Amino acid sequence: MIEIILMLLILLLVVSAAIALFSKKLLNSIITLSIFSALLVIILIIFQAPDLALAEAVIAAGITTSFFIITINKTEGVN
Amino acid sequence: MKKINFDKVFSFILVSLLGLFIMKVLYSVAGEEAARFTADHYISYGVDETGAINIITAILFDYRAFDTLGEATVIFTAASVVALLLPRHEASMLKTEFTPVVQQSIAFILPFLWIISIFLISYGHLSPGGGFSGGVIISAMSILIIFTYGYRYMTRRFNVKKLSLIEDIGALAFLTIGLAGIIAGGTFLANSQVGIYPGTPGELLSGGLMPLSNFAVAAKVGTGLSVIFLSLARED
Repeated sequence: MIEIILMLLILLLVVSAAIALFSKKLLNSIITLSIFSALLVIILIIFQAPDLALAEAVIAAGITTSFFIITINKTEGVN
Repeated sequence: MKKINFDKVFSFILVSLLGLFIMKVLYSVAGEEAARFTADHYISYGVDETGAINIITAILFDYRAFDTLGEATVIFTAASVVALLLPRHEASMLKTEFTPVVQQSIAFILPFLWIISIFLISYGHLSPGGGFSGGVIISAMSILIIFTYGYRYMTRRFNVKKLSLIEDIGALAFLTIGLAGIIAGGTFLANSQVGIYPGTPGELLSGGLMPLSNFAVAAKVGTGLSVIFLSLARED
């Protein structure tokens, strides 16, 4: 059972990474990137690496998203 | 009829070949005896040698503490450069205005975030966590405050100068802990290998100097990322 869930999660990981890479709007890319990191947290917990999962959850979902959003907010008019 | 873009096909083939190559290398490295030697040593003797149950923190703050110093230095450099480069205009808040519901619920959440960060830092050698994750949660608290209540509210309590002072104190504390290893007769940042009492594994005060260096790194990382965000959020 866990094998099927893991394969599904890895497939979703690839799909979300591709959406983040190929979407035209930057804001969509950032939100998809935080979905990517949330999926990665679940995969790391399945692989029994809680330390890494904690760091990934805090850094990728919290810090990186807000840093990107504030940077895009700053450079909106430049293009 | 649509024309095939040969550049994209070529780069797709190239990326696939690179992925196959990396997979092959990783599979062949995983079976090597020499690559597993240090890992086996850490797993077998890590708890006895360092006194910390969580082997990952034992590696990060005892065996490979110099790497942690490098990571902390990267954040220190980034915070210094961002604070230097961005303009010095003290100015208005962010554009978004939230309803009182959001402000009240953030005010309700913040103490729990503070408690969980202190828990992660002080139990870093016993359970998953450690100074780095706890410090990042502290900086996430300051980001939440800036987003919800505005830049002014944050700088009235903690301006960049105060946060930089705390960051410097954390960095100096970590270096002083490193010097303790030299004074005890070993190398820089050596901990329990030079005879500093590791304590009983599993107790709160164990692991030699590990809890102290956890707190130093947490102060450094938390305030460093807060300084970066404060400098970025400044609007003119």
